[in-house]
Amino acid sequence: MAKNYTVHKIAFYVGLVVIWQLVAMVDVWPSNIFPSPYEVGEDLVYSTADGSIFYGFATSMWRLGVGLSISIAGGIVLGIFMARVEVVNQTVGSLVLGLQSIPSIAWVPLGILWFGLADAGIIFVTAIGAIFAVTINVYTGVKNIPPSYIEAARNMGATGSKLIINVLIPAAFPYMISGFKQGWAFAWRGVIGAELLFSYMGLGHMLYVGRSLNDISQIAAVMLVIMATGLLIDAVVFKRLEFKVMSRWGLR
Amino acid sequence: MAELEAKDITKYFTHESHRLQALGGVNLKVESGDFVCLVGPSGCGKSTFLRIVAGLEQPDGGQILFDGRPVTETGPSRIMVFQEGALFPWLKVGDNVEFGLKVAGVPPEKRTEISERYLDMMQLTKFSDSYVHQLSTGMKQRVAIARALVMDPDVLLMDEPFAALDAQTRDLLLIETQLMWARTKKTILFVTHNVAEAAVLGTRVAVFSNRPSVIKREIENNFPRPRVSEDEDLLQFQHEILKELRPEVKKSRAEV
Repeated sequence: MAKNYTVHKIAFYVGLVVIWQLVAMVDVWPSNIFPSPYEVGEDLVYSTADGSIFYGFATSMWRLGVGLSISIAGGIVLGIFMARVEVVNQTVGSLVLGLQSIPSIAWVPLGILWFGLADAGIIFVTAIGAIFAVTINVYTGVKNIPPSYIEAARNMGATGSKLIINVLIPAAFPYMISGFKQGWAFAWRGVIGAELLFSYMGLGHMLYVGRSLNDISQIAAVMLVIMATGLLIDAVVFKRLEFKVMSRWGLR
Repeated sequence: MAELEAKDITKYFTHESHRLQALGGVNLKVESGDFVCLVGPSGCGKSTFLRIVAGLEQPDGGQILFDGRPVTETGPSRIMVFQEGALFPWLKVGDNVEFGLKVAGVPPEKRTEISERYLDMMQLTKFSDSYVHQLSTGMKQRVAIARALVMDPDVLLMDEPFAALDAQTRDLLLIETQLMWARTKKTILFVTHNVAEAAVLGTRVAVFSNRPSVIKREIENNFPRPRVSEDEDLLQFQHEILKELRPEVKKSRAEV
Protein backbone atom coordinates (compact mmCIF):
# COMPACT_ATOMS: atom_id res chain seq x y z
CA MET A 1 0.00 0.00 0.00
CA ALA A 2 1.20 3.50 -0.86
CA LYS A 3 2.42 5.69 1.94
CA ASN A 4 -0.15 8.12 3.21
CA TYR A 5 0.94 11.73 2.77
CA THR A 6 -2.12 13.44 4.29
CA VAL A 7 -0.11 14.90 7.17
CA HIS A 8 2.53 16.27 4.81
CA LYS A 9 -0.17 17.83 2.66
CA ILE A 10 -1.86 19.58 5.58
CA ALA A 11 1.48 20.82 6.91
CA PHE A 12 2.43 22.12 3.45
CA TYR A 13 -0.75 24.15 2.99
CA VAL A 14 -0.76 25.48 6.55
CA GLY A 15 2.89 26.52 6.07
CA LEU A 16 2.03 28.18 2.78
CA VAL A 17 -0.75 30.25 4.35
CA VAL A 18 1.48 31.21 7.30
CA ILE A 19 4.24 32.42 4.97
CA TRP A 20 1.67 34.29 2.89
CA GLN A 21 0.33 35.98 6.04
CA LEU A 22 3.86 36.87 7.18
CA VAL A 23 4.77 38.40 3.81
CA ALA A 24 1.55 40.41 3.89
CA MET A 25 2.31 41.59 7.45
CA VAL A 26 5.80 42.78 6.51
CA ASP A 27 3.98 45.34 4.36
CA VAL A 28 6.36 45.37 1.39
CA TRP A 29 3.38 45.86 -0.90
CA PRO A 30 0.19 47.75 -0.03
CA SER A 31 -2.78 45.49 0.73
CA ASN A 32 -4.65 46.60 -2.41
CA ILE A 33 -1.90 44.88 -4.42
CA PHE A 34 -1.05 41.97 -2.16
CA PRO A 35 -3.96 40.85 0.01
CA SER A 36 -3.40 38.86 3.18
CA PRO A 37 -4.95 35.42 3.56
CA TYR A 38 -7.13 36.90 6.25
CA GLU A 39 -8.63 39.44 3.84
CA VAL A 40 -9.17 36.78 1.20
CA GLY A 41 -10.80 34.56 3.80
CA GLU A 42 -13.01 37.44 4.84
CA ASP A 43 -14.06 37.95 1.23
CA LEU A 44 -14.87 34.25 0.89
CA VAL A 45 -17.03 34.43 4.02
CA TYR A 46 -18.92 37.49 2.75
CA SER A 47 -19.49 36.08 -0.71
CA THR A 48 -20.60 32.81 0.85
CA ALA A 49 -22.96 34.63 3.19
CA ASP A 50 -24.60 36.66 0.41
CA GLY A 51 -24.56 33.60 -1.87
CA SER A 52 -22.75 35.34 -4.72
CA ILE A 53 -19.91 32.84 -4.85
CA PHE A 54 -22.36 29.91 -4.96
CA TYR A 55 -24.33 31.61 -7.67
CA GLY A 56 -21.17 32.24 -9.69
CA PHE A 57 -19.96 28.71 -9.10
CA ALA A 58 -23.28 27.15 -10.07
CA THR A 59 -23.49 29.26 -13.22
CA SER A 60 -19.98 28.27 -14.31
CA MET A 61 -20.55 24.60 -13.48
CA TRP A 62 -23.81 24.51 -15.38
CA ARG A 63 -22.15 25.92 -18.49
CA LEU A 64 -19.25 23.55 -18.06
CA GLY A 65 -21.59 20.59 -17.67
CA VAL A 66 -23.47 21.33 -20.87
CA GLY A 67 -20.32 22.19 -22.82
CA LEU A 68 -18.38 19.17 -21.65
CA SER A 69 -21.31 16.82 -22.34
CA ILE A 70 -21.45 18.11 -25.90
CA SER A 71 -17.72 17.66 -26.37
CA ILE A 72 -17.72 14.16 -24.85
CA ALA A 73 -20.61 13.00 -27.01
CA GLY A 74 -19.19 14.63 -30.12
CA GLY A 75 -15.65 13.49 -29.35
CA ILE A 76 -16.73 9.86 -28.99
CA VAL A 77 -18.57 9.91 -32.32
CA LEU A 78 -15.76 11.72 -34.15
CA GLY A 79 -13.00 9.65 -32.56
CA ILE A 80 -14.65 6.33 -33.41
CA PHE A 81 -15.28 7.39 -37.00
CA MET A 82 -11.68 8.50 -37.38
CA ALA A 83 -10.35 5.26 -35.96
CA ARG A 84 -12.58 2.99 -38.01
CA VAL A 85 -12.76 4.78 -41.36
CA GLU A 86 -9.33 5.68 -42.73
CA VAL A 87 -10.63 8.27 -45.18
CA VAL A 88 -12.31 10.13 -42.30
CA ASN A 89 -9.03 9.99 -40.39
CA GLN A 90 -7.04 11.39 -43.32
CA THR A 91 -9.50 14.22 -43.92
CA VAL A 92 -11.39 15.16 -40.75
CA GLY A 93 -8.55 13.83 -38.58
CA SER A 94 -6.01 16.28 -39.95
CA LEU A 95 -8.45 19.14 -39.40
CA VAL A 96 -9.02 18.00 -35.80
CA LEU A 97 -5.27 18.13 -35.14
CA GLY A 98 -5.14 21.65 -36.51
CA LEU A 99 -8.19 22.85 -34.60
CA GLN A 100 -6.81 21.39 -31.38
CA SER A 101 -3.97 23.89 -31.48
CA ILE A 102 -6.40 26.84 -31.24
CA PRO A 103 -6.73 27.94 -27.59
CA SER A 104 -10.36 28.01 -26.49
CA ILE A 105 -10.12 31.74 -25.77
CA ALA A 106 -9.46 32.34 -29.46
CA TRP A 107 -12.97 31.04 -30.19
CA VAL A 108 -14.55 33.82 -28.09
CA PRO A 109 -14.92 36.40 -30.89
CA LEU A 110 -16.62 33.78 -33.08
CA GLY A 111 -18.79 32.68 -30.16
CA ILE A 112 -19.94 36.26 -29.55
CA LEU A 113 -20.71 36.91 -33.21
CA TRP A 114 -22.53 33.60 -33.73
CA PHE A 115 -24.37 33.23 -30.44
CA GLY A 116 -24.33 36.71 -28.91
CA LEU A 117 -23.33 37.65 -25.38
CA ALA A 118 -25.34 34.80 -23.87
CA ASP A 119 -25.00 31.34 -22.32
CA ALA A 120 -24.97 29.71 -25.73
CA GLY A 121 -21.82 31.60 -26.72
CA ILE A 122 -19.97 30.58 -23.54
CA ILE A 123 -21.09 26.97 -23.92
CA PHE A 124 -19.88 27.03 -27.51
CA VAL A 125 -16.44 28.17 -26.43
CA THR A 126 -16.34 25.57 -23.65
CA ALA A 127 -17.41 22.70 -25.89
CA ILE A 128 -15.16 23.54 -28.80
CA GLY A 129 -12.19 24.00 -26.49
CA ALA A 130 -12.58 20.46 -25.18
CA ILE A 131 -13.98 18.39 -28.03
CA PHE A 132 -10.74 17.88 -29.95
CA ALA A 133 -8.81 16.60 -26.95
CA VAL A 134 -11.61 14.10 -26.29
CA THR A 135 -11.69 13.13 -29.98
CA ILE A 136 -7.96 12.42 -30.16
CA ASN A 137 -8.00 10.27 -27.02
CA VAL A 138 -11.03 8.30 -28.21
CA TYR A 139 -9.29 7.80 -31.56
CA THR A 140 -6.13 6.53 -29.87
CA GLY A 141 -8.16 4.27 -27.60
CA VAL A 142 -10.08 2.64 -30.44
CA LYS A 143 -6.91 2.28 -32.53
CA ASN A 144 -5.25 0.44 -29.65
CA ILE A 145 -7.97 -2.17 -29.21
CA PRO A 146 -6.41 -5.60 -29.83
CA PRO A 147 -7.73 -6.74 -33.26
CA SER A 148 -8.75 -10.10 -31.79
CA TYR A 149 -11.38 -8.39 -29.57
CA ILE A 150 -13.03 -6.92 -32.63
CA GLU A 151 -12.72 -10.14 -34.64
CA ALA A 152 -14.16 -12.24 -31.82
CA ALA A 153 -17.07 -9.81 -31.49
CA ARG A 154 -17.77 -9.76 -35.24
CA ASN A 155 -17.54 -13.54 -35.27
CA MET A 156 -20.22 -13.67 -32.56
CA GLY A 157 -22.47 -11.40 -34.59
CA ALA A 158 -21.66 -7.93 -33.24
CA THR A 159 -21.58 -5.46 -36.14
CA GLY A 160 -22.42 -1.78 -36.61
CA SER A 161 -23.89 -0.06 -33.57
CA LYS A 162 -23.76 -3.30 -31.54
CA LEU A 163 -20.02 -3.48 -32.11
CA ILE A 164 -19.62 0.18 -31.13
CA ILE A 165 -21.68 -0.03 -27.94
CA ASN A 166 -20.64 -3.48 -26.74
CA VAL A 167 -16.98 -3.54 -27.76
CA LEU A 168 -15.40 -0.38 -29.15
CA ILE A 169 -16.50 1.99 -26.37
CA PRO A 170 -15.82 -0.32 -23.40
CA ALA A 171 -12.54 -1.55 -24.90
CA ALA A 172 -11.31 2.00 -25.48
CA PHE A 173 -12.61 3.26 -22.14
CA PRO A 174 -9.27 3.43 -20.28
CA TYR A 175 -8.02 5.84 -22.96
CA MET A 176 -11.32 7.66 -23.01
CA ILE A 177 -10.98 8.50 -19.32
CA SER A 178 -7.76 10.39 -20.08
CA GLY A 179 -9.67 12.13 -22.83
CA PHE A 180 -12.47 13.13 -20.46
CA LYS A 181 -9.93 14.32 -17.94
CA GLN A 182 -8.15 16.46 -20.50
CA GLY A 183 -11.50 17.58 -21.85
CA TRP A 184 -12.60 18.65 -18.38
CA ALA A 185 -9.40 20.64 -17.83
CA PHE A 186 -9.75 22.40 -21.19
CA ALA A 187 -13.46 23.01 -20.64
CA TRP A 188 -12.91 24.50 -17.17
CA ARG A 189 -10.29 26.90 -18.51
CA GLY A 190 -12.52 27.64 -21.46
CA VAL A 191 -15.57 28.48 -19.38
CA ILE A 192 -13.67 30.79 -17.00
CA GLY A 193 -11.88 32.52 -19.86
CA ALA A 194 -15.05 32.96 -21.83
CA GLU A 195 -16.93 34.36 -18.84
CA LEU A 196 -14.13 36.84 -18.29
CA LEU A 197 -14.49 38.14 -21.84
CA PHE A 198 -18.25 37.72 -22.26
CA SER A 199 -18.70 39.46 -18.92
CA TYR A 200 -21.92 37.65 -18.25
CA MET A 201 -22.16 36.02 -14.82
CA GLY A 202 -20.16 33.07 -13.46
CA LEU A 203 -16.79 32.85 -11.72
CA GLY A 204 -14.94 34.36 -14.68
CA HIS A 205 -17.22 37.36 -14.57
CA MET A 206 -16.53 37.74 -10.83
CA LEU A 207 -12.82 37.97 -11.66
CA TYR A 208 -13.63 40.71 -14.13
CA VAL A 209 -15.71 42.59 -11.56
CA GLY A 210 -12.92 42.21 -9.02
CA ARG A 211 -10.51 43.83 -11.43
CA SER A 212 -12.94 46.66 -12.25
CA LEU A 213 -13.41 47.43 -8.56
CA ASN A 214 -9.71 47.01 -7.77
CA ASP A 215 -10.85 44.38 -5.25
CA ILE A 216 -7.76 42.23 -5.12
CA SER A 217 -9.07 39.96 -2.36
CA GLN A 218 -12.14 39.07 -4.41
CA ILE A 219 -9.89 38.16 -7.32
CA ALA A 220 -7.76 35.95 -5.10
CA ALA A 221 -10.84 34.38 -3.50
CA VAL A 222 -12.39 33.48 -6.86
CA MET A 223 -9.07 32.07 -8.09
CA LEU A 224 -8.94 29.88 -5.00
CA VAL A 225 -12.42 28.58 -5.74
CA ILE A 226 -11.44 27.83 -9.35
CA MET A 227 -8.40 25.89 -8.21
CA ALA A 228 -10.25 24.05 -5.46
CA THR A 229 -12.91 22.99 -7.96
CA GLY A 230 -10.20 21.51 -10.18
CA LEU A 231 -8.76 19.50 -7.33
CA LEU A 232 -12.19 18.39 -6.15
CA ILE A 233 -13.41 17.19 -9.54
CA ASP A 234 -10.17 15.32 -10.11
CA ALA A 235 -10.43 13.55 -6.75
CA VAL A 236 -14.17 12.88 -6.74
CA VAL A 237 -14.80 12.03 -10.39
CA PHE A 238 -11.65 11.05 -12.25
CA LYS A 239 -9.55 9.37 -9.57
CA ARG A 240 -12.53 7.16 -8.67
CA LEU A 241 -13.41 6.39 -12.24
CA GLU A 242 -9.81 5.50 -13.04
CA PHE A 243 -9.52 3.33 -9.97
CA LYS A 244 -12.70 1.46 -10.81
CA VAL A 245 -11.79 0.79 -14.43
CA MET A 246 -8.14 -0.04 -13.73
CA SER A 247 -8.96 -2.57 -11.02
CA ARG A 248 -11.65 -4.17 -13.18
CA TRP A 249 -9.14 -4.59 -16.01
CA GLY A 250 -6.42 -5.70 -13.63
CA LEU A 251 -4.16 -2.84 -14.63
CA ARG A 252 -3.17 -2.00 -11.07
CA MET B 1 -22.50 -33.91 -48.77
CA ALA B 2 -19.82 -32.68 -46.45
CA GLU B 3 -20.88 -30.12 -43.86
CA LEU B 4 -17.86 -27.98 -44.55
CA GLU B 5 -15.78 -27.98 -47.67
CA ALA B 6 -12.74 -25.94 -48.59
CA LYS B 7 -12.20 -25.84 -52.34
CA ASP B 8 -8.82 -24.89 -53.69
CA ILE B 9 -8.19 -22.07 -51.20
CA THR B 10 -5.28 -19.80 -52.11
CA LYS B 11 -3.93 -16.82 -50.21
CA TYR B 12 -1.08 -14.40 -50.86
CA PHE B 13 0.68 -12.11 -48.42
CA THR B 14 2.61 -9.01 -49.24
CA HIS B 15 5.72 -8.87 -47.16
CA GLU B 16 8.13 -5.96 -47.64
CA SER B 17 7.05 -5.46 -51.23
CA HIS B 18 7.33 -9.08 -52.33
CA ARG B 19 4.34 -11.31 -52.74
CA LEU B 20 4.39 -14.55 -50.88
CA GLN B 21 2.00 -17.39 -51.50
CA ALA B 22 0.88 -18.80 -48.16
CA LEU B 23 -1.86 -21.16 -49.29
CA GLY B 24 -1.43 -22.98 -52.58
CA GLY B 25 -4.83 -24.53 -53.08
CA VAL B 26 -6.07 -26.15 -49.88
CA ASN B 27 -8.80 -28.76 -50.23
CA LEU B 28 -10.55 -30.22 -47.21
CA LYS B 29 -13.85 -31.95 -46.57
CA VAL B 30 -15.23 -32.09 -43.05
CA GLU B 31 -18.25 -34.17 -42.07
CA SER B 32 -20.59 -33.18 -39.26
CA GLY B 33 -19.10 -34.32 -35.95
CA ASP B 34 -15.55 -34.61 -37.26
CA PHE B 35 -12.66 -33.52 -35.10
CA VAL B 36 -9.97 -32.49 -37.56
CA CYS B 37 -6.56 -31.35 -36.37
CA LEU B 38 -4.49 -29.20 -38.73
CA VAL B 39 -0.73 -29.47 -38.24
CA GLY B 40 2.07 -27.97 -40.28
CA PRO B 41 5.38 -26.14 -40.09
CA SER B 42 5.15 -22.70 -38.51
CA GLY B 43 4.25 -20.01 -40.99
CA CYS B 44 2.59 -22.47 -43.37
CA GLY B 45 -0.70 -20.61 -43.20
CA LYS B 46 -2.78 -23.11 -41.22
CA SER B 47 -4.05 -20.35 -38.93
CA THR B 48 -4.79 -18.20 -41.97
CA PHE B 49 -6.77 -21.10 -43.40
CA LEU B 50 -8.79 -21.30 -40.19
CA ARG B 51 -9.45 -17.56 -40.30
CA ILE B 52 -10.67 -17.93 -43.88
CA VAL B 53 -13.04 -20.69 -42.79
CA ALA B 54 -14.26 -18.35 -40.03
CA GLY B 55 -14.86 -15.62 -42.63
CA LEU B 56 -12.47 -13.27 -40.84
CA GLU B 57 -10.26 -13.17 -43.92
CA GLN B 58 -11.03 -13.55 -47.59
CA PRO B 59 -9.16 -16.06 -49.76
CA ASP B 60 -7.54 -14.87 -53.00
CA GLY B 61 -8.95 -17.90 -54.74
CA GLY B 62 -11.25 -20.84 -54.09
CA GLN B 63 -14.25 -20.96 -51.81
CA ILE B 64 -15.58 -22.27 -48.53
CA LEU B 65 -18.81 -24.21 -48.77
CA PHE B 66 -20.94 -24.62 -45.68
CA ASP B 67 -23.81 -27.07 -46.12
CA GLY B 68 -23.15 -26.76 -49.83
CA ARG B 69 -23.50 -22.98 -49.94
CA PRO B 70 -20.52 -20.65 -50.34
CA VAL B 71 -19.81 -18.43 -47.32
CA THR B 72 -17.77 -15.24 -47.33
CA GLU B 73 -18.97 -13.41 -44.21
CA THR B 74 -18.13 -14.25 -40.64
CA GLY B 75 -21.03 -15.48 -38.53
CA PRO B 76 -22.16 -17.56 -35.56
CA SER B 77 -22.31 -20.84 -37.51
CA ARG B 78 -18.50 -21.00 -37.34
CA ILE B 79 -17.16 -19.72 -34.04
CA MET B 80 -13.49 -19.16 -33.42
CA VAL B 81 -11.58 -19.80 -30.19
CA PHE B 82 -8.53 -17.54 -30.37
CA GLN B 83 -5.02 -18.45 -29.30
CA GLU B 84 -4.97 -15.79 -26.57
CA GLY B 85 -8.65 -16.25 -25.78
CA ALA B 86 -9.59 -12.72 -26.82
CA LEU B 87 -11.79 -12.40 -23.74
CA PHE B 88 -13.15 -8.97 -22.90
CA PRO B 89 -11.41 -7.59 -19.79
CA TRP B 90 -14.24 -5.15 -19.01
CA LEU B 91 -16.75 -7.97 -18.52
CA LYS B 92 -17.11 -10.57 -15.81
CA VAL B 93 -16.61 -14.20 -16.81
CA GLY B 94 -20.36 -14.80 -16.91
CA ASP B 95 -20.95 -11.73 -19.10
CA ASN B 96 -18.13 -12.78 -21.41
CA VAL B 97 -19.82 -16.13 -21.89
CA GLU B 98 -23.19 -14.46 -22.50
CA PHE B 99 -21.77 -11.92 -24.94
CA GLY B 100 -22.97 -13.54 -28.17
CA LEU B 101 -26.45 -14.12 -26.76
CA LYS B 102 -26.71 -10.51 -25.63
CA VAL B 103 -25.71 -9.29 -29.08
CA ALA B 104 -28.30 -11.63 -30.60
CA GLY B 105 -30.98 -10.05 -28.40
CA VAL B 106 -31.72 -13.09 -26.23
CA PRO B 107 -33.59 -11.99 -23.05
CA PRO B 108 -31.50 -11.93 -19.83
CA GLU B 109 -33.15 -14.89 -18.04
CA LYS B 110 -32.70 -17.09 -21.08
CA ARG B 111 -29.08 -15.93 -21.42
CA THR B 112 -28.28 -16.87 -17.86
CA GLU B 113 -29.93 -20.24 -18.28
CA ILE B 114 -27.87 -21.10 -21.36
CA SER B 115 -24.59 -19.70 -20.09
CA GLU B 116 -24.90 -21.54 -16.78
CA ARG B 117 -25.05 -24.82 -18.64
CA TYR B 118 -21.73 -24.18 -20.39
CA LEU B 119 -20.08 -22.57 -17.39
CA ASP B 120 -20.89 -25.80 -15.60
CA MET B 121 -19.57 -27.94 -18.45
CA MET B 122 -16.24 -26.09 -18.42
CA GLN B 123 -16.16 -26.08 -14.57
CA LEU B 124 -16.36 -22.32 -14.35
CA THR B 125 -19.48 -21.82 -12.23
CA LYS B 126 -17.46 -20.57 -9.25
CA PHE B 127 -15.73 -17.97 -11.42
CA SER B 128 -18.81 -16.48 -13.02
CA ASP B 129 -18.39 -13.17 -11.14
CA SER B 130 -14.61 -12.92 -11.58
CA TYR B 131 -12.94 -10.57 -13.99
CA VAL B 132 -10.73 -11.97 -16.72
CA HIS B 133 -7.44 -10.78 -15.22
CA GLN B 134 -8.12 -12.80 -12.09
CA LEU B 135 -7.99 -16.07 -14.04
CA SER B 136 -5.05 -18.29 -14.96
CA THR B 137 -4.27 -18.87 -18.63
CA GLY B 138 -5.91 -22.29 -18.51
CA MET B 139 -9.06 -20.84 -16.97
CA LYS B 140 -9.16 -18.15 -19.63
CA GLN B 141 -9.14 -20.77 -22.37
CA ARG B 142 -11.99 -22.59 -20.62
CA VAL B 143 -13.97 -19.35 -20.67
CA ALA B 144 -13.13 -18.85 -24.34
CA ILE B 145 -14.44 -22.33 -25.14
CA ALA B 146 -17.60 -21.79 -23.08
CA ARG B 147 -18.17 -18.44 -24.80
CA ALA B 148 -17.91 -20.17 -28.18
CA LEU B 149 -20.19 -23.09 -27.21
CA VAL B 150 -22.92 -20.76 -25.97
CA MET B 151 -23.35 -19.62 -29.58
CA ASP B 152 -24.25 -23.21 -30.43
CA PRO B 153 -22.11 -23.10 -33.60
CA ASP B 154 -22.16 -25.89 -36.14
CA VAL B 155 -18.40 -25.72 -36.38
CA LEU B 156 -15.94 -24.80 -33.66
CA LEU B 157 -12.67 -23.35 -34.94
CA MET B 158 -9.80 -23.54 -32.48
CA ASP B 159 -6.57 -21.69 -33.25
CA GLU B 160 -3.76 -23.12 -31.10
CA PRO B 161 -5.84 -22.53 -27.98
CA PHE B 162 -3.49 -24.45 -25.68
CA ALA B 163 -0.18 -23.14 -27.04
CA ALA B 164 0.50 -20.93 -24.02
CA LEU B 165 -0.37 -23.50 -21.35
CA ASP B 166 1.94 -25.45 -19.08
CA ALA B 167 2.07 -29.21 -19.62
CA GLN B 168 -0.20 -30.21 -16.70
CA THR B 169 -2.91 -27.71 -17.55
CA ARG B 170 -2.73 -28.71 -21.18
CA ASP B 171 -3.17 -32.43 -20.34
CA LEU B 172 -6.23 -31.55 -18.30
CA LEU B 173 -7.71 -29.45 -21.06
CA LEU B 174 -7.01 -32.15 -23.66
CA ILE B 175 -9.21 -34.51 -21.68
CA GLU B 176 -11.90 -31.88 -21.11
CA THR B 177 -11.92 -30.99 -24.78
CA GLN B 178 -12.56 -34.63 -25.69
CA LEU B 179 -15.40 -34.80 -23.16
CA MET B 180 -16.84 -31.55 -24.47
CA TRP B 181 -16.69 -32.88 -28.02
CA ALA B 182 -18.36 -36.13 -26.98
CA ARG B 183 -21.15 -34.26 -25.19
CA THR B 184 -21.83 -31.52 -27.70
CA LYS B 185 -21.11 -33.49 -30.92
CA LYS B 186 -19.67 -30.34 -32.47
CA THR B 187 -17.63 -30.36 -35.63
CA ILE B 188 -14.18 -29.11 -34.65
CA LEU B 189 -11.28 -27.77 -36.68
CA PHE B 190 -8.25 -27.50 -34.45
CA VAL B 191 -4.98 -25.86 -35.47
CA THR B 192 -1.88 -26.90 -33.55
CA HIS B 193 1.85 -27.22 -34.05
CA ASN B 194 1.95 -29.86 -31.31
CA VAL B 195 1.90 -33.35 -32.79
CA ALA B 196 1.05 -35.06 -29.50
CA GLU B 197 -1.93 -32.75 -29.09
CA ALA B 198 -3.14 -33.55 -32.61
CA ALA B 199 -2.76 -37.27 -31.95
CA VAL B 200 -4.79 -37.08 -28.74
CA LEU B 201 -7.61 -34.91 -30.09
CA GLY B 202 -8.23 -35.61 -33.76
CA THR B 203 -10.39 -38.18 -35.45
CA ARG B 204 -8.32 -37.07 -38.40
CA VAL B 205 -5.08 -35.17 -38.72
CA ALA B 206 -4.43 -33.07 -41.81
CA VAL B 207 -0.75 -32.32 -42.41
CA PHE B 208 0.02 -29.05 -44.19
CA SER B 209 3.04 -28.83 -46.49
CA ASN B 210 5.50 -25.98 -46.50
CA ARG B 211 4.53 -22.77 -48.38
CA PRO B 212 2.70 -22.53 -50.68
CA SER B 213 0.76 -24.93 -48.51
CA VAL B 214 -1.53 -27.70 -49.53
CA ILE B 215 -2.81 -30.51 -47.37
CA LYS B 216 -0.16 -33.14 -47.93
CA ARG B 217 -1.86 -36.03 -46.24
CA GLU B 218 -4.85 -36.78 -44.05
CA ILE B 219 -4.42 -39.50 -41.46
CA GLU B 220 -7.38 -41.18 -39.75
CA ASN B 221 -7.08 -41.80 -36.03
CA ASN B 222 -9.46 -44.38 -34.62
CA PHE B 223 -7.89 -45.03 -31.23
CA PRO B 224 -10.43 -45.38 -28.45
CA ARG B 225 -11.19 -42.40 -26.22
CA PRO B 226 -10.60 -40.81 -23.84
CA ARG B 227 -6.99 -40.61 -24.98
CA VAL B 228 -4.14 -39.14 -22.98
CA SER B 229 -0.87 -37.86 -24.36
CA GLU B 230 1.26 -40.60 -22.79
CA ASP B 231 -0.69 -43.47 -24.45
CA GLU B 232 1.85 -45.91 -25.86
CA ASP B 233 -0.37 -46.73 -28.82
CA LEU B 234 -0.58 -43.09 -29.81
CA LEU B 235 3.19 -42.82 -30.12
CA GLN B 236 3.05 -44.93 -33.26
CA PHE B 237 0.49 -42.53 -34.65
CA GLN B 238 2.58 -39.52 -33.70
CA HIS B 239 5.50 -41.02 -35.62
CA GLU B 240 3.33 -41.31 -38.65
CA ILE B 241 2.42 -37.63 -38.46
CA LEU B 242 6.02 -36.66 -37.87
CA LYS B 243 7.15 -38.67 -40.87
CA GLU B 244 5.02 -36.38 -43.04
CA LEU B 245 5.77 -33.23 -41.12
CA ARG B 246 9.57 -33.36 -40.72
CA PRO B 247 10.53 -32.85 -44.38
CA GLU B 248 8.16 -29.87 -44.54
CA VAL B 249 9.64 -28.30 -41.42
CA LYS B 250 13.11 -28.78 -42.93
CA LYS B 251 12.05 -27.06 -46.13
CA SER B 252 10.58 -24.15 -44.20
CA ARG B 253 13.80 -23.78 -42.18
CA ALA B 254 15.91 -23.84 -45.34
CA GLU B 255 13.97 -20.86 -46.69
CA VAL B 256 14.64 -18.55 -43.78
